[in-house]
Amino acid sequence: MSGEVLSRRRFLQVSTAAGGAVVLSSALGAPPARATGRLRVYVLVVDGTRPDEVVPALMPRLSQLRAEGTWFSGARSLPVMETIPNHVMMMTGVRPDRSGVPANSIYDRAEATVRDLDRPSDLRFPTLLERLNATGRTTGTVLSKEYLYGIFGERATHRWEPFPIIPVSGHAPDQATTDALIAMVDAHDPDLVFVNLGDTDRVGHSDLTGSTLRAARTLALRSTDLQVGRFVDHLRATGRWSSSVLLVLADHSMDWSLPTGVISVDAILRARPDLRSSVQIAQNGGADLLYWTGPADRRAAGLAEVRRLVTAHPGVLSVQPPRELRLGPEAGDLIAYCRAGWRFSDPEVFSNPIPGNHGHPATEPIPFLVAGEHPLVRRGAVSGAPARTVDVAPTVGAMFGLGAPRGGYDGAVRKEALAGRR
Amino acid sequence: MKQGVTPSEVQLSRRRALQLAAATGTGLAAAAATTGSASATPPGRRSPVFGHGVASGDPLPRSVVLWTRVTPTPAATPGSGQGPAADVEWEVAADPGFRRIVRRGSVRTGPARDHTVKVDADGLSPATGYWYRFRCAGALSAVGRTRTAPAADATVPRLRMAVVSCANLQAGWFTAYRHLAARSDLDLVVHLGDYLYEYAPGEYQARDVVVRPHDPATEIVSLSDYRRRHAQYKTDPDLQALHAVAPWVVTWDDHESANDAWSGGAENHTEGAEGAWRARRAAAQQAYAEWMPVRYEAGGQLYRRLRFGRLASLSMLDLRSHRDQQASSPVDPALDDPSRTIAGPEQLQFLLDGLADQQVQWKLVGNPVMIAPVRFPSGLESRAAEGVAALVDLPVPPVAGVPYNVDQWDGYPAERAAVLGHLRDRGIRDAVFLTGDIHSGWANELPADPSTYPLTGDSVGVELVCTSVTSDNLDDILGTPPRTASAAVETAVKVNNPHVKYLDFDSHGFSVLELTEAGAQMDWFVLTDRTDPRAAAVWSTSWRVPAGSSRVERAAGRLR
Repeated sequence: MSGEVLSRRRFLQVSTAAGGAVVLSSALGAPPARATGRLRVYVLVVDGTRPDEVVPALMPRLSQLRAEGTWFSGARSLPVMETIPNHVMMMTGVRPDRSGVPANSIYDRAEATVRDLDRPSDLRFPTLLERLNATGRTTGTVLSKEYLYGIFGERATHRWEPFPIIPVSGHAPDQATTDALIAMVDAHDPDLVFVNLGDTDRVGHSDLTGSTLRAARTLALRSTDLQVGRFVDHLRATGRWSSSVLLVLADHSMDWSLPTGVISVDAILRARPDLRSSVQIAQNGGADLLYWTGPADRRAAGLAEVRRLVTAHPGVLSVQPPRELRLGPEAGDLIAYCRAGWRFSDPEVFSNPIPGNHGHPATEPIPFLVAGEHPLVRRGAVSGAPARTVDVAPTVGAMFGLGAPRGGYDGAVRKEALAGRR
Repeated sequence: MKQGVTPSEVQLSRRRALQLAAATGTGLAAAAATTGSASATPPGRRSPVFGHGVASGDPLPRSVVLWTRVTPTPAATPGSGQGPAADVEWEVAADPGFRRIVRRGSVRTGPARDHTVKVDADGLSPATGYWYRFRCAGALSAVGRTRTAPAADATVPRLRMAVVSCANLQAGWFTAYRHLAARSDLDLVVHLGDYLYEYAPGEYQARDVVVRPHDPATEIVSLSDYRRRHAQYKTDPDLQALHAVAPWVVTWDDHESANDAWSGGAENHTEGAEGAWRARRAAAQQAYAEWMPVRYEAGGQLYRRLRFGRLASLSMLDLRSHRDQQASSPVDPALDDPSRTIAGPEQLQFLLDGLADQQVQWKLVGNPVMIAPVRFPSGLESRAAEGVAALVDLPVPPVAGVPYNVDQWDGYPAERAAVLGHLRDRGIRDAVFLTGDIHSGWANELPADPSTYPLTGDSVGVELVCTSVTSDNLDDILGTPPRTASAAVETAVKVNNPHVKYLDFDSHGFSVLELTEAGAQMDWFVLTDRTDPRAAAVWSTSWRVPAGSSRVERAAGRLR
């Protein structure tokens, strides 16, 4: 695999404005950047940002973009409200039962282990990146998180491997990510760049004052806002802004819990060793995926009992089969959601010390705006349309005149954000 | 809720106007509204056959309820049980001249339903304005104007509605209705209850002045009584005018039956002396079904949901028929009982389902009594405290900081927690509770967690409360001029309840709500004097709910 990958790419080291160096890899035979007078689309994911945080006091630059372009006031993330599945939905336009990517963390029955969906082969549906590449356009990915870089792999024409990586969080800081984004735009000027800025999510997860003051989170929001502003300023300074469409959205929101608001499914099932030994748990913050691994003849009765026991916990919002949420078999047999102000922690109540979590329905609302000076953009509008992460691929695809993939999109073209095309 | 009667002199209308203008910083608007200019038929031409006007209600995309009452012979008076059966023809037209009639029919009525007529006219087009009229015994009714709801999947740029409650005929004139009827921008009228009052003359009026005595001249108890009271209200020309210009969506609160009603009784019902509560309630409900333009028949279910394209749904609640008895006081241990209900389990689920609907942006709730928690403020001087207690019909609590009104959702905290928790757990946005009952104007946020709200400001929804059309409020109870003693009370309530952003304990009037994709805004209008049939309506304030925010903020100006 690695040899094959190496054979298909070339590396480019470019200097950044700050004097650092950014290494970009590109597919061999990639077409050169097009002449000016064309469409450039940038999808910026401000990871884990809440819509009520896009206000002038916290995020002045994003607020300005919100006012200038189209703001979707009722935008939402889709199950499971985690980073990897929602980035995949943005780039495929289909739900997890078609992409194979329902959550960050799953129990892999073939490998008999709980793992992240961070391999290129985990994503089974064509993304906008390779579909645009096939039309002769060029694409780029600048993804701050290692597992995102992992799953999107070599799909884009130009890629940046996140660096430097902050230990534990597994992501590159927004300053470095934005450096790489600017370097990629300057060096290759792709038609579409897909960007993840991970700081607000990573700081949000660890903010112990999240349920009240949100001290660290507030600083991260301002910092990320500065980086977005820096990128917009660069587009303006280099004459690209008038041909640019900028989609800024989050993959999910964030909800904080106190150490008293912790649910351990492991502990719930411990009183029933027969059940505990027959269930695997994949934790996804505010959602737990449960997999029956016990005897097949006890599956139905066992799952019904698990459902009953877990549902009885006061912090549990719901327990249901994943197919009801359009999650495929990778998501297991039951999905448990917590209420706002709670989190799952397995196997012990102290195993997940992270105060900020997502994955549960309280974290569905997201910011979602479309801005830029390209004439396509509808300006100064607020839309109450039900915009979802899965709408990004259809909407961006429509901007490039790209048709739907085989079987169609699950998302919709958000015409509300397009001038004259409502 | 009802009275706390304190004798005082009625304020002069001009003085009241000046006070209002000074208090609100505005000039007087529309001082002399015309009577029902938007309805087509001048009152003088109306036949005695149609003495109670025409009305429409509960608009759906393809149908709307049409209503009238006929008096085919002089003997067929309301509540009499007299008079012959009568055939009534109805017509719906696409133009006010009735040249393009799109639906027509005939229906028979008689004394069994008090000669009321209610037709569900179907086969109509969505989001379309229509005119309708009735014909009986050779007479033509007034012409009413109505409008169907948009199709369920339609994009709706704007929806504008009047929001009213608490119209006590004895306490004043329905000038609020007249000013609303003069507008041409209303898609509908939402009435949140206390459409009429059950009291006898002298039992409840404007401070100590009976502006217009009730008929019959007793507290209403029997079916005949309730029918006559409905009929009296529907002879009011201002009420008729507002019914004739737009479809109404109504629910009842307590006074359509009796004060502080609950599933098994009411504060203002004496079992035995006034018969059995079940019989009295059945009479009240039958008269309501007969006399109101609502998709409800006696013994059925009043709570229901209407939909206005993708822009809004409107869940109208019945918070009287299914509730447990009110707690005896704000310190009653019963308040802690998690099984006590205000909505009943089925209606609660109906409400939760409506709030969770992701196909619609604004989830409006027609909510007869306030849902925002309100704690009795500390630091009130005793007269003001007694006034607030009288407004909510309860004794002054022994300590500050307890819920101030246990007839509201405050008296059913477990069920309210289920509703607010649902909004928070499901990440629901754009939930707006429209509330009446309390004879005062409020704009509230709904704290996700009251303990952290002062720090985070996290709100899961908003509540906009319209004031009373005429019924007494704090200045009336205290016997003080408007905007004097009450201002200190309002400040104390807001300080003790920081999610209360706007409060006017004194004024009477109406509200107008506009919804767009970008936001909701409510305008509050106040009357210069409810006892003056020529009173002006003055714009008082406007509060806005930006889409997605679950917050209220003062609007830059009134709706245009």
